[in-house]
Amino acid sequence: MPVGVTDLSAEIFSLHMTIFWICVVIGLVVFGVMFYSLFKFRRSQGAKSAHFHENTTVEVIWTAVPLLILVGMAVPATATLQKMYDASDAELDVMITGQQWRWRYEYLGEDVAFNSNMSTPRAQIAGEEERGEHYLLEVDEPLVLPINRKVRFLLTADDVIHSWWVPDFAVKQDTIPGFINENWVRINEPGIYRGQCAELCGMDHGFMPIVVHAMEEDDFDDWLAERKEAAEAEAMGVDREWEMAELMERGEQVYGSICASCHQADGGGSPPAFPALAGNQELIDDVDWHTDVVLNGVSGTAMPAFRSNLNPVELAAVVTYSRNAWGNDTGDAVQPAEIVELLE
Amino acid sequence: MWGVIKSVLAAFFGVQKERQRQHDFEHGKPGVFILVGLLMGVVFVVMIAALAIYLAG
Amino acid sequence: MAPKLPPHHSLQHSSTTATAGGQVHDDHDHHPQPRGIMRWLLTTNHKEIGSLYLIFSLIMFFIGGIFALVVRAELFQPGLNLVNPEFFNQMTTMHGLIMVFAAVMPAFTGLANWMIPLQIGAPDMALPRLNNFSFWLLPVAFILLLSTLLMPGGGPNFGWTFYAPLSTTYAPPSTTFFILSLHIAGVSSILGAINIVATILNMRAPGMRMMDMPLFVWTWLITAFLLIAVMPVLAGVITMMLMDINFGTSFFDAAGGGDPVLFQHLFWFFGHPEVYIMILPAFGIVSAIIPCFARKRLFGYASMVYATASIAVLSFLVWAHHMFVVGLPLAAELFFMYTTMLIAVPTGVKVFNWITTLFRGSITFEVPMLFALAFVVLFTIGGFSGLMLAIAPADFQYHDTYFVVAHFHYVLVPGAVFSIMAAVYFWLPKWTGFYPSEVLGKWHFWLSVIGVNLTFFPMHFSGLAGMPRRIPDYALQFADFNLVSSLGAFLFGFSQLIFVWVIIKCVRGGVKAPAKAWDGAEDLEWTVPSPAPLHTFETPPDFKPVQH
Repeated sequence: MPVGVTDLSAEIFSLHMTIFWICVVIGLVVFGVMFYSLFKFRRSQGAKSAHFHENTTVEVIWTAVPLLILVGMAVPATATLQKMYDASDAELDVMITGQQWRWRYEYLGEDVAFNSNMSTPRAQIAGEEERGEHYLLEVDEPLVLPINRKVRFLLTADDVIHSWWVPDFAVKQDTIPGFINENWVRINEPGIYRGQCAELCGMDHGFMPIVVHAMEEDDFDDWLAERKEAAEAEAMGVDREWEMAELMERGEQVYGSICASCHQADGGGSPPAFPALAGNQELIDDVDWHTDVVLNGVSGTAMPAFRSNLNPVELAAVVTYSRNAWGNDTGDAVQPAEIVELLE
Repeated sequence: MWGVIKSVLAAFFGVQKERQRQHDFEHGKPGVFILVGLLMGVVFVVMIAALAIYLAG
Repeated sequence: MAPKLPPHHSLQHSSTTATAGGQVHDDHDHHPQPRGIMRWLLTTNHKEIGSLYLIFSLIMFFIGGIFALVVRAELFQPGLNLVNPEFFNQMTTMHGLIMVFAAVMPAFTGLANWMIPLQIGAPDMALPRLNNFSFWLLPVAFILLLSTLLMPGGGPNFGWTFYAPLSTTYAPPSTTFFILSLHIAGVSSILGAINIVATILNMRAPGMRMMDMPLFVWTWLITAFLLIAVMPVLAGVITMMLMDINFGTSFFDAAGGGDPVLFQHLFWFFGHPEVYIMILPAFGIVSAIIPCFARKRLFGYASMVYATASIAVLSFLVWAHHMFVVGLPLAAELFFMYTTMLIAVPTGVKVFNWITTLFRGSITFEVPMLFALAFVVLFTIGGFSGLMLAIAPADFQYHDTYFVVAHFHYVLVPGAVFSIMAAVYFWLPKWTGFYPSEVLGKWHFWLSVIGVNLTFFPMHFSGLAGMPRRIPDYALQFADFNLVSSLGAFLFGFSQLIFVWVIIKCVRGGVKAPAKAWDGAEDLEWTVPSPAPLHTFETPPDFKPVQH
């Protein structure tokens, strides 16, 4: 277990080591007596069995002593737990949403939000390429946090239960659809910290890593300002007419990071859970239905609603892309402006 | 009654003198022991819960 | 009514013969008995049904074991090498379900069937027809469960804990069959438990008081009450899943106003007592074997009974320690942390009692004793990691990692499974009339002990290093631990073939065993001949309580 880079993670580490050494000592005593008895009282060495089978004093002692050790252990554990549950006075709120199979980070009140997908190429997983140093623990866009500030996490999920875990922070919290959980962190050292989803969430549970980039406070403020500008620029693009080629290019990118994990890069899906998009007649015939499915999801299935997950440009692009890729060739170009209308 | 409570406490702790146990099994009514045991079980749970709620503030 | 019932063994015999132990058993039976397959389908004899349970669970142990080896083979090296993640999830899920519900539980029920009537001096179980029914439900349930692997969309892939909504909204279509099979298995468990309670409470030999019963009987009595208490909760929760999947309800679907956390509360209210259902009978077995081969009475019989009862009661108060990271309120975290830590006390008492039983004994190391001693050591290691997991703040780091996998495998494999193996070696002379091979048994024991530790000990380290459970591929820093675990798993898996060989050899012959097969054995089962005849204790034995 890492000591970690927060005060709490260090405290938890010392709790862990304390209970570990208590167990080791008890183990040595208990197994010591056991193996001594096994060695000393072998019948082959002429041991004759004694006849005692009860001793109230001894029994009281070996019930009371463990009880006292446990009380001794419960006191610091309670204190640590009380601190972990105190998420008040946070200086920054980050909403973390678990989705099959990526994380979405939203800086509340800052208009900055993005998805974070695993960036390890599938070829490395299949063993066709040399595996990198951070195999399975690398993402396209890490969560960026400032050091020395109390950051509150609000955690939820869109589909099934996931669990957001970074060992160096000693933060592990389930993200549950319909619930918002709280946790917090105050990082002491800048660096890059890695973790993984810790709750079985379906097929690609093993492939939704977490990377946190902890920065000096000034660097973080610059980064956040930059991201805000970029988000505003993209919002401006909503009103203009987009070229087909532009939409297709952006759509392929969005499809690859969002849709391909279920519907596959070639649009073939994996029926019956994840229907094929390539050659899907229902999709080809009805652009309104197709847009509605992408925006609002299909209740009772694994298809989530993407209306608040992606911006209008991304939504328009990905619908356009899946209507024209893999031989679907409908020629439809869905414009961001149309999506904005549907979203209102 | 006090004797019953003491025996139930001993059972919770898990240690009882053999003579007392013989005495309880031969002279006590099982129903009384079960009832007192259940009640004290509830009391025990409420005590831990109260402690937890107090510590949680 | 009567003519519709299948033919059964008559309890009245015109001629009986007294045997050496003062027992009475039949020479012949006047009713024509069904032969071949019908004999086994219709049997109401506790020994035959016990054997059926044991054989069934052994087969399932191998099937569940093959699933585990698929998992370990995939995890042998980083990368997706053999199976895809979808199939990997089905393998982990099926491994858990089969081992828990089809291997360990039926094995204990089989031992109960065989040994409880013999240990309390009863002629059979109290409800023999029900006994037959509860066994034959099991093959139906598990053939159904295994068949889901062949269905479109695959079998259950959501872990043996089947957390909603992954197991409802996002589950494969075969989930409805999974629910049905669990229902059937649950009915079987409840019926079996009722039968055991009825037998123990009503059919003890005259003069045998509750506090005179062997500990295996005691632990099973308490286990049976646990089963009756919690299997209906499981039935309830899977019925709610069924409704969510097929009838449009939203018990666990947040979009419809449901609550996914409710599922976990209900599941673990069943699940935690279930864990003790799989370990309490093991305590009983070890409490029979250690005194036998230490040739000294069990130390602290009464406190063993008390400890078993308090573990059972506490098991209802600790369920949410499986849920420390779901966002419980602080008061709930504290409550469940304290109650969980308390369990260490009665468990510790049991270990101390076993060790004090060894102290100043006259010890020999036959195969059943070896397994029982390994149980004490390795189960205690599992208990230590359990104590660590109980510390809620630290559990935020341990939860859902390989540390947890190491913990529960230590209590279940060298815990429950070793105790079952110890019981088989211990009672095989009674069942077959021959001693199991001492040489092969020792090979089996040592290879199993080495295999188990190679498999599960490194998992503590991979968990602490940060490896989550249930992942088909892992980061490179976990590679060495996984390599060792996989090698150990294959060693353990293949050494179980020796176990089968020992059993087959022992059924077919060997060194003849007398009625009292082990010189330190005390309980009633050792007063009937070896092998135990089909009908025993038709006249109640003359029971003289040892002063426990």
